[in-house]
Amino acid sequence: MEGTFKPAPVAAEGSVRVLANVPLKEEVVLVRIDLAGDAAEPLLERGIVPGCRLCPLHYVPGDGPLVCSVDGSLVALRREMATCLCVRSAREAMGLLDAN
Amino acid sequence: MLVRAQRSRSHGTLGRELGFQQQRRFFVAGVPLRVALVGPPNAGKSTLFNQLTGLRQRVANYPGVTVERHSGVASVGGKPVEVIDLPGIHGLSPRSPDQTVTRNVLLGMMEDGRPPDAVVLVVDATRLETHLMIAEPVLALGLPTLVVLTMADELDERGGRLDMAGLSEKLGVEAALVNARNATSLSPVRDFLAGLLATSPEARECPVVAAVEPSDRQGRPLPLVDQFKARRQRVQGIGRAAAFRPPAPSKATRRIDAFVLHRVWGPVVFLAVVVVVFQAIFKGAVPLIDGTEAVVAGAGAFIASVLPDTWLRSLLIDGIWAGVGSVVVFLPQILTLFLFIAIMEDSGYMVRAAVVADRLMQRAGLQGQSFLPLLSGYACAVPAIMAARTVEDERDRIATIFVTPFMTCSARLPVYALLIAAFIPEGPLLGPFLGQRAGALLGLYALGLFGAVLTAFLLKRSLLRNPAAAFVMELPPYRWPTLRSVGARLAGRAKVFLLRVGKIIMTVSIVLWMLARFPAGPDGAAPAIEDSALGAVGRFIEPAVEPLGFDWRIGIGLVTSLAAREVIVGTLGTIYGVESADESSLELQAALQGSLDVGAAVALLVFFAFALQCMSTVAVMKRETGGWRWPALQFGYMLALACAGAWAANMLL
Repeated sequence: MEGTFKPAPVAAEGSVRVLANVPLKEEVVLVRIDLAGDAAEPLLERGIVPGCRLCPLHYVPGDGPLVCSVDGSLVALRREMATCLCVRSAREAMGLLDAN
Repeated sequence: MLVRAQRSRSHGTLGRELGFQQQRRFFVAGVPLRVALVGPPNAGKSTLFNQLTGLRQRVANYPGVTVERHSGVASVGGKPVEVIDLPGIHGLSPRSPDQTVTRNVLLGMMEDGRPPDAVVLVVDATRLETHLMIAEPVLALGLPTLVVLTMADELDERGGRLDMAGLSEKLGVEAALVNARNATSLSPVRDFLAGLLATSPEARECPVVAAVEPSDRQGRPLPLVDQFKARRQRVQGIGRAAAFRPPAPSKATRRIDAFVLHRVWGPVVFLAVVVVVFQAIFKGAVPLIDGTEAVVAGAGAFIASVLPDTWLRSLLIDGIWAGVGSVVVFLPQILTLFLFIAIMEDSGYMVRAAVVADRLMQRAGLQGQSFLPLLSGYACAVPAIMAARTVEDERDRIATIFVTPFMTCSARLPVYALLIAAFIPEGPLLGPFLGQRAGALLGLYALGLFGAVLTAFLLKRSLLRNPAAAFVMELPPYRWPTLRSVGARLAGRAKVFLLRVGKIIMTVSIVLWMLARFPAGPDGAAPAIEDSALGAVGRFIEPAVEPLGFDWRIGIGLVTSLAAREVIVGTLGTIYGVESADESSLELQAALQGSLDVGAAVALLVFFAFALQCMSTVAVMKRETGGWRWPALQFGYMLALACAGAWAANMLL
């Protein structure tokens, strides 16, 4: 099916990765959403906004959706969409925060 | 009488931060107070609705859309209050039919142009910061609002904490922490409604509030991401003001998910659930179906025995009662399926099942939630189409409804059994593993599945094309379903099916009865079917069905089986003069062998694999899509496919 989701460029900003590539149980902080406003709205309405903490918990086999925790809630999203969410490890994000 | 009213109450800190403006609005005096329940899915909104209204509920469709309108009457101090249970939503932007309807109802653009007099915003206290994202746009409407935080028991059990006074102060509206499953904990909701009732419309002040669109220093609107980021910061501020301590993650949910969403066990559990549901509809409901049929037949026989033998009795028994019976007999399967759906939805498994099935369904252009309706279609398309309302995306839901009748339902089996037994020899196809007859039956199942996948593929690339669906689903914690909630949903489904679909089916039954009954003989007796108006229809369409290898007798069967596929067996029995014909009747098989060649028999099988010969399906499709457009298109498309397939089979064999 033709989609509107375009994967983000690979880690152009140092340790920034896409959510789809984050190993299970690793906590990350959302840096940026590479989606047009309308396509991003379902995420934004559920509190998935830059700065929120995400942690992938389950990957459904066969490139199925991934389930991640978002500040305590569980949310499932397709891998295509997860490739549009740019994240940084929570530890590193905390370090940047401290440095600032 | 229209009464002008204005409210002077403070909007709290959130209102001040957003720069809410007070405006005037109108109240309609002399009509019951109307209160709308708004909130995200799985927040306990429907549980609260059921507690407030009991069985005084009404289900209808909003005009022009397929979103259901659930309303009921709550009695507060002996006075009626109309409660509307709006669809579960995460925002008020008109992105989906559910959100559009909710927004329009709240803005007074639906419901006779009358907005609700008050709003009860229902959010899950255990997911406060996610669910409060919707509070801001709802409060910005300026309607008197009570924020109800549900799941008080879970919040407490899992060590969460919340200061309600701080929350209420920060939000600027009343707020209550309740357990929606416990009627006694709902007194704050009843007090809120009683407070509204006690205030005269003139004194009940209520402004329309316009939220100021967030903008940058130059006054330009902020990008959407920044708007939501700012909203989330305000929500977190509310959480801090309310000394919100999030509850620990549910251990039970974590443990069950580790199994249910496991890479290996997840699909296994999913398949096991699917098999159980399928078996329950296909086999488990059989005694209930048999019992229902026996009751309907017994009641019909009793009515027939007390009425004189006139055309009126024939109309009542053969037309109307037969029509009613044909509707009621589906009820056990519908209730069985919806029992499972209610349990799976209320327990929290349904969303997980959709997640597990999503990739598979995505290959056909559908989404995970389409799987269960399609599977249910193997038992009966009628409950399956009703089950498609679990598919959130409107285009995917229509596509699911459209392809469901291709699945080989149980009504096709008598037709397949009759023709296969008459024309396919008994013998091995794959050694001891598969016989020719079983192979033919399997082939027909595969043909139906092929039709479904092909149609979904074509639809999603043409009429129902949409961007890659934003499959974002919140997974609620696992919870025990309550008897009250499941019972209310089953009662609602049964009522909708019997009243809405029954009307259409009864009308068609009466028309078919009239065609079979007229012109009456000199003594008023019904004519032989070939001499009736129905027979004339069969002869009229004979030139059209001849290229498929069928004669006028099969033509009549095709017309009568518009009511239901299996009707053709009885019709052919009548035409060929076979008493008590069923699919195992050797006499009828012999009669068919005499009038059809193998090519025509295979053509008839192919025709039934594709054609939409079931008025119950058409009726339920009309109800679920909100008009005749999709059923008409579906009927025409499947008929064209059936004719083309039958013609090709007849030509090739």
